[in-house]
Amino acid sequence: MLSVIALAVVASTPLLLCVEGELVVQRSGMINLGVEGMLLAAAFGASIGGVSGAVAAAVFVAFLFGLFTIVLDADQIVTGTALNLLVLGGTSLAYREMQSRTAQPIRLDLITPVAWIVAPIVLAVLLWSTTTGLRLRAAGEDPNAMRAARWSPARYRWMALAIEAVLVGLAGTHLALAQSNGFAENMSAGRGFIALSVVIFGRWSVRGSIAGTALFGIAAALQYALQAANQGIAFHLLLATPYVVTLLILCGVTGRVRAPEALGKSLR
Amino acid sequence: MKRALVAAAASAASLALLAFVAATFGHSPLLVLRTLFEGSIGSSFAIEGTLTKSVPLLLTGLSVVIAFRAGAWNIGAEGQFIAGAIAALLASRFGNVAAILAAAIAGAAWASIASLMRLWRNAPEVLTTILLNFIAIHLLGWCVNGPLREASGQYPQSDPASSSLPAIGSVYVGVPLSIVIAVAMWWLLYRTTEGLRLRATGFNAGAARYAGINTGWQLFRAMAISGAVAGIGGAFELLGVTHRLFERFAAGYGYSGIAVALLGQLHPLANIASALFFAALTTGAGELQRSAGISSAIATLGQAMAILVVIAVSWRRRNA
Repeated sequence: MLSVIALAVVASTPLLLCVEGELVVQRSGMINLGVEGMLLAAAFGASIGGVSGAVAAAVFVAFLFGLFTIVLDADQIVTGTALNLLVLGGTSLAYREMQSRTAQPIRLDLITPVAWIVAPIVLAVLLWSTTTGLRLRAAGEDPNAMRAARWSPARYRWMALAIEAVLVGLAGTHLALAQSNGFAENMSAGRGFIALSVVIFGRWSVRGSIAGTALFGIAAALQYALQAANQGIAFHLLLATPYVVTLLILCGVTGRVRAPEALGKSLR
Repeated sequence: MKRALVAAAASAASLALLAFVAATFGHSPLLVLRTLFEGSIGSSFAIEGTLTKSVPLLLTGLSVVIAFRAGAWNIGAEGQFIAGAIAALLASRFGNVAAILAAAIAGAAWASIASLMRLWRNAPEVLTTILLNFIAIHLLGWCVNGPLREASGQYPQSDPASSSLPAIGSVYVGVPLSIVIAVAMWWLLYRTTEGLRLRATGFNAGAARYAGINTGWQLFRAMAISGAVAGIGGAFELLGVTHRLFERFAAGYGYSGIAVALLGQLHPLANIASALFFAALTTGAGELQRSAGISSAIATLGQAMAILVVIAVSWRRRNA
């Protein structure tokens, strides 16, 4: 059991970092479906240029998302979908074309403690104990009131995207260089979409995000244990369970749940 | 007319960008464009491939369109496609008609989970439909590994469906049927009072309610139709193309449907053109991979570029 948990913690480190990044972005009022593509781009960047390559790639995707949704005022869902397709197509194409230039695998995994301990503390303090965090959340609740107070919601949405890009950059690094020996096509494998679910599961809180990631992670780790024990059939149903629970949470079965008021809304 | 120009320009721009990307990797852009062209519409065999490929794209695209027209983002076409295909497989022993009906009902039911959650608990359908996709994918995994696994038990796939869709000439009947569905949806949306009410709901729900339209009912029914159309897409793909279910049966069709709907300017008839364009791109990219060794992922890249060009040029928020 202990080994299952340890496996789950390390294996779900990229997921947790994506959850944390998406939490910040959703708190600022944006649904970034493109987090899936951002993670894939970061993994690709990591395989070429290590951590800095990963963060640069994630920043690029975040920049495109901000350019289309904040500057051009395009729909967030559409933009996120387009960016996912863009990165999936672009990295798969480039991966086949390029000689394998794999960056060195990470020997000492510092990213896992950052994801599970440092980042949650920093984010909790930033979001709930600083004026910057207050304004960032205000951009996600009532951008008009914020504008009336002469603060730019756009600026805080950009800031949220920057934070997400750094976190997802680390996630991509972990995925490509700590858990594998480099890039593989579509290696993000839906983690970005799962991250969206976990943010809801955690009711847009840091503590809930960690608990949610742990639950999704343990369900995934149990899958391997069940497969190894040759009880292979049931694990698909087990894998579906966290999503069913998330749906029920979204319906308020377990008490009141409230998404940020301006989530998904444009600034105009 | 202006919107058709935008779509045509976006398609052309995405092809030009693909040629440019291929050139940066050292391939001849002309060769790439010619292979894409010949591989998709250059022979009767290629055209058949393109037409077959256009069916799931068109139906998931239409699914996105009708939900959008009622003011909802249905990101769940993939899950509804799967629900439809599973139901079609189970009902196929009673013939094609029963299988397609079952698929429509299953798809509608799957989508209705999301719309009911929206109406009763105000849960955003963008989030619930994504969650329902995951549940459908795992349900499908369970089916093809468990109760619906082929009798020989060799691979995680189902036995072939008991019925299959016939062909007209060399093209299977899903192609004309999906076009009929597109025309029917256009007629419903733009030539009937109910269609006007549905569009009013999506255009301005507050004003629609003030005008006495039951917006909740409109949303519910639009999502049900949306799910039914995606479910029929799953049935056609199963009964006409793959004949078996397997884990990656739906492989991204829901998200491609969003691309089709957008390039088709969220209009049912224009969707026929955009589904054909993306289908041609996909089959052409397959040929590109076989003959020139360039990854067929180039088709995905083309979809993305077309959407980005469309939204950069012409997107206006529906609530603006």
